[in-house]
Amino acid sequence: MMTNRIVNHPVLGKLEERKVIQFTFDGKQFSGCEGDTVASALWANGVKKLRVHEESGQPRGLYCNIGHCFECRVTVNGQPGVRACLTKIEENMVIESGKQLPTPLKTKGPGDHLPRTYAEYATKAETSEEENSRA
Amino acid sequence: MHDVLIIGAGPAGLAAAIACREWELNVLVIDEFPQPGGRLLGQLHQEPSGRWWNGIDEARNLLDKANDLDTKIRCGVSAYHIEKVDHGFKVHTNQGVYEATNLLIATGAAESAVPIPGWTLPGVISIGAAQVMTNVYRVRVGHKGIIVGVNVLSVAIARELQLAGVEVHSMALPALNLVNEEHGHPKKVMDRLLPIAHLAPSAWVRLGRYFARGTWARNLAVRFYPRQGVKIWGIPIHLRKAVTKINGNDQVESVTVCDITPDGDLIPGTEQTISVDFVCIAGGLYPLAELAAVLGCPFRYIEELGGYVPVHNEQMETPLDGLFVAGNITGIENAKVARAQGTLAGLSIVKRMGQVTGELEEMIDDAKERVQREREEAIIQFHPGIQQGRIKMEAVYKKICTT
Amino acid sequence: MKGLEKIIICRCEEVDLEEIRQTVSQYGSSARETKLRTRAGMGYCGGRICRPMLDAILKKIMGDKPQDQIPLKIQPPVRPVTLARLGDGLHHDD
Ligand SMILES: Cc1cc2nc3c(=O)[nH]c(=O)nc-3n(C[C@H](O)[C@H](O)[C@H](O)COP(=O)(O)OP(=O)(O)OC[C@H]3O[C@@H](n4cnc5c(N)ncnc54)[C@H](O)[C@@H]3O)c2cc1C
Ligand code: FES
Ligand code: FES
Repeated sequence: MMTNRIVNHPVLGKLEERKVIQFTFDGKQFSGCEGDTVASALWANGVKKLRVHEESGQPRGLYCNIGHCFECRVTVNGQPGVRACLTKIEENMVIESGKQLPTPLKTKGPGDHLPRTYAEYATKAETSEEENSRA
Repeated sequence: MHDVLIIGAGPAGLAAAIACREWELNVLVIDEFPQPGGRLLGQLHQEPSGRWWNGIDEARNLLDKANDLDTKIRCGVSAYHIEKVDHGFKVHTNQGVYEATNLLIATGAAESAVPIPGWTLPGVISIGAAQVMTNVYRVRVGHKGIIVGVNVLSVAIARELQLAGVEVHSMALPALNLVNEEHGHPKKVMDRLLPIAHLAPSAWVRLGRYFARGTWARNLAVRFYPRQGVKIWGIPIHLRKAVTKINGNDQVESVTVCDITPDGDLIPGTEQTISVDFVCIAGGLYPLAELAAVLGCPFRYIEELGGYVPVHNEQMETPLDGLFVAGNITGIENAKVARAQGTLAGLSIVKRMGQVTGELEEMIDDAKERVQREREEAIIQFHPGIQQGRIKMEAVYKKICTT
Repeated sequence: MKGLEKIIICRCEEVDLEEIRQTVSQYGSSARETKLRTRAGMGYCGGRICRPMLDAILKKIMGDKPQDQIPLKIQPPVRPVTLARLGDGLHHDD
């Protein structure tokens, strides 16, 4: 079925039979095993590219596999920004890769006020306060 | 309101939960990973006795004990902010807000990277990612790959990949740049491997032969380091070759490797392209302490502990009343040390909750000794100076808490 | 392929080593200022991947001794959250 499975392992033993789970990625049908995450199931199927960078369009995929880097974020059943490496695969899950955004969000230099996350929002508010008080 | 909330269900968090439950505290453990165990999951190394350390089994043992004590453990819960409130803490997570009188942060470690051109390509993963993919999910990371960065963790994981039938072409250094110095300079790399070479579980012995003590001897060893590398378990380990870039369109297709001088400078004309379908990046570990930072806990940079560490004492208390830390957040060590620290932190929390019995005091003393013993007996030692690091931290705590 | 010769430091914001180096040299900027000018460390992962590297660059160029305060100040949330989530305040009392 899936060629990337490590079925026999000299120390960990033979992989037990697990329930097969069907899901789609960008409209294509795939199957994984119970216990898989979205990331491991896709990797087992040879899918490494999970998204492109929102601004540059460069291909990206799994990097840390434990939730730290957010490189593996995909859209799961309509919810964007989900970490594939922390999400267990479920029957009929609909997964979509991350796309390039049409309008560039990044403009560098002073006067750039387009926060995307709450963290940015907070930092920006703080900096502009500082700048104001300096002026 | 819980007596204690524990962030992180690794060996430290689980051991702490067990200790607290044994004294019948109301405990909740949260973790963002889909299953409990933390980075124990995936660890697989052979001890000098020949016995295998299998992290999955070790995690199961802890979990069984925790379950016997009816410990509440919730996975898939990600903490993103903590507030100090009257008599406790408010922990904000993707699943809502939890309140507790005591808080133990046991978030473990994160990996540092050694960046080289092309390292954002799909198929380039951290060495820890490869460990988890191989041993937890039982998925082969690729057919043939190369490991960039030579250190105790990456050598151990190279072996794990090999056990799973994945071909590790070789291990080499990252090309030297402003960021990679500790990992890209042959002499520095050898200096860091030297203190562990004598631990030599079987195959290390071979590598150990090439490691000489003293600057002079070390320089010589680097100079005459074999061009074809030194093989451990048949995997060539190169200290005189560096990976200069990773190539590919939509994913990794090859790497470019170049010979380097004993000081890490590229030797022009020696470039070679090796086709691979995966690359692992290994730059070591650092304490993942951001949640303690948002709470305003004081920090110290202590090289031997792996970087910025929240100030804490031997009992795992921080200067913030009710805030405890345990495991790799306090410094990079192996899972046995983390587990022992967890037990100690749990008992310290029991004490803070008002238990004053001779029995508890005895248990705390035993737990402290246990931490020390695990540290001394550690086979996988990430930082040779860990003991000094611990002493430094104890002094910092005393200074902060007496002024 | 475009950009592959660069050494990306901040993966989230695609900021490369040269850009950071130049910013630090040109403005003699502190960690915080460098972060704001280049956006390195301000991405999705909250700097978890690039922070150690940024620290290393500053140390190298500015000769900064590691200070006791985390140089790239960490702010909540340490994981990205939607503003909706921030507002809903679901409370657990169990
Ligand atoms: C990738 C990697 C590989 C390693 N491999 C080895 C090895 O092979 N051998 C070895 O001896 N040591 C290894 N280590 C070292 C390892 O850190 C220790 O062995 C040990 O697991 C540390 O235990 P801990 O309880 O402190 O943290 P961990 O075991 O790391 O557990 C911490 C837990 O906290 C959770 N967490 C973190 N942040 C949050 C948050 N904001 N919200 C909710 N949950 C959170 C994590 O999901 C994790 O499960 C490795 C470390 C890493 C990072
Ligand atoms: S791969 Fe890093 S968060 Fe999923
Ligand atoms: S890598 Fe820089 S913010 Fe994520």
